[in-house]
Amino acid sequence: MSDKLIQLRLGIGAICLAAFLLLIAIPFWVTSPSNVPNIILSPIFWPNTLAIITALTGIGLVLSGLSLFSVKAPKSFNSEKNTRAFFRLSILGFIMGITILVMPSLGLVWTMMLVFSSSAFLVGTTYTKTAIICSIVLPLILYLFFAHVAGVAIPQGDYVRLP
Amino acid sequence: MSFIDNIMAGFSLVANLESFLALFVGITIGTVAGAIPGLSATMAVALTLPFTFSMTPITGILLLLGVYKGGIFGGSIPAILIKTPGTPASSATILDGYPLAEKGQAGKALGMALWASCTADLISNLALILFAGWLASFALNFGPPEFFTLILFSLTIIAGVSGESLLRGALSAMFGLLLATVGLDLIYGTQRFTFENPNMMGGLNFIAVLIGLFAIPEIIGMVWNPKADEGKSRALGNNWVTFQEYRNSFRSIVRGSFIGVFLGSIPGIGAAPSAFLSYSEARRKSKNKENFGKGELEGVAAAEAGNNGVAGATLIPLLALGVPGDVITAIILGAFMVHGLQPGPMMFLINADIIYGLFIGLIVSSVFLFFIGSIAIRGFKYVADIPRSILFPSVMVLCVYGVFAVNNNLFDVGVMFVMGWIGFFMIQYKIPAAPFLIAFILGPLLEDNFRQSMLMSGSSASILFRGPITWFFWLLTSITVFTIARAGIKTRQNDS
Repeated sequence: MSDKLIQLRLGIGAICLAAFLLLIAIPFWVTSPSNVPNIILSPIFWPNTLAIITALTGIGLVLSGLSLFSVKAPKSFNSEKNTRAFFRLSILGFIMGITILVMPSLGLVWTMMLVFSSSAFLVGTTYTKTAIICSIVLPLILYLFFAHVAGVAIPQGDYVRLP
Repeated sequence: MSFIDNIMAGFSLVANLESFLALFVGITIGTVAGAIPGLSATMAVALTLPFTFSMTPITGILLLLGVYKGGIFGGSIPAILIKTPGTPASSATILDGYPLAEKGQAGKALGMALWASCTADLISNLALILFAGWLASFALNFGPPEFFTLILFSLTIIAGVSGESLLRGALSAMFGLLLATVGLDLIYGTQRFTFENPNMMGGLNFIAVLIGLFAIPEIIGMVWNPKADEGKSRALGNNWVTFQEYRNSFRSIVRGSFIGVFLGSIPGIGAAPSAFLSYSEARRKSKNKENFGKGELEGVAAAEAGNNGVAGATLIPLLALGVPGDVITAIILGAFMVHGLQPGPMMFLINADIIYGLFIGLIVSSVFLFFIGSIAIRGFKYVADIPRSILFPSVMVLCVYGVFAVNNNLFDVGVMFVMGWIGFFMIQYKIPAAPFLIAFILGPLLEDNFRQSMLMSGSSASILFRGPITWFFWLLTSITVFTIARAGIKTRQNDS
């Protein structure tokens, strides 16, 4: 992606974000008491100020993008590689999402064992045995430390509870 | 009692094996904890606190101070080797430390980090001893308007860490400031962007945002292109830092140490802004400024000097006024109270032996830090030799445990993941992450001090110019903005 395209996309994105904040997010999701004596003290003053500065930054990015020469950057991946990369990213996103969902019922330790092994195999590790051993040992060591030394209440889950 | 009498009384208190052993063990624990991503120095100090209950006050507090100092240095090890700051303060070390590691010069970067840390630590400790009273009384004069102007000036350091585009750096800072508004309004207690979710009412957890922004994008990047760094040397390398290289960076180290001392003596500023300010100043003054961010040894030295310079100075308001300078010194304040001591001006009269005993212990800690740090660097080099396909899943597991342990809250893990994807997007669009982090730290302080000033003055802006301290910071801010603008215009003229 060229610098010109990056600046333009970011600039337009920043202006859209500022508009979203000013028109929707701040009016609906920031609560302000009705008896505020001065607008400067209102809880909405700071977010509004930041949104306006974001819009100005966006305009600056667009203008600087327009003044740049368009130099097309060389493509680093072919389309097949890109598709595979996006597929791997989707799986990682799925792993992260499922981690949050199953951790309360499966427990942190067992979830982390699955997360370790699945992410290691996702990146195509050639150290299969090491990955399997680490996926079991590392979460257990961390459990022992956090639960028994640091006194952190590690979620145990509903199925197999650790001592 | 005279100064010499106090020193002798302090020496008689700490000149025993137990005290030095506590300091040594403390620095070792701190270095190891700081080197593990997700295990911050704060957490290590908090975890060590219960172990000090059975010790004498001086031994217990030396143990905690050792953990604190070791933790601040230890954070630079994973920052350089795996681009994951062990502590928030070592975020600035990443900027040049990691590129050096990628060039196969991690040993050089870690060596410089150690030398700079020990030098800054020593300067900071000496400053604590020599200027405790004076600096503390200076910081005591700060009210909300002074803090507001100071933080506004601190925000100009964003220009120094914005990389190739100041506008992209500004946009990143805006994201950070906006994210920092999430939570309950401190004056009226109303909700801002919380969506009625109780987890968001206290704002987003800083550790979750920090780890999400710096560690998770690396994992996502690894998944995006698993073969990207194949064959790249990330080991320590045969090169160790030379005395000549240390001498070349000495000015930046001393400057960074004094920045650390100054910012550390003001409660609430902390080590991360100091590290970034020191880095920014080193970059501005360096002959190799274009090399900063690409693997400049002086950048590592400046960042480490900035964050370690804070370590001794945060004890100035703690000991002289009883006001903690940051979260860690707040925990240490708790340790003093547990042992029946009340830090403050009276402690210099009633428990002068303990105060001066701590000063001696702190000086010795710089020497211990050097030796323990040297061993730790060699020990942690194995982190660099671990295959990436094993290392990054391990980092992921460490991050999840570390972030969860801060508040025992699954929501924080979710925040970390979301921030990770935002961080990855920022890398793709060449948006620097450092301004985001600085703004996220300073944003609430800036807003609170501004609104408190307005409350004090009945919404009159004249309070922001009320005295010499505010004028001093306005002047500094104006000079910095003018310099940035002039440099920008010059760059554009050179390009065209």
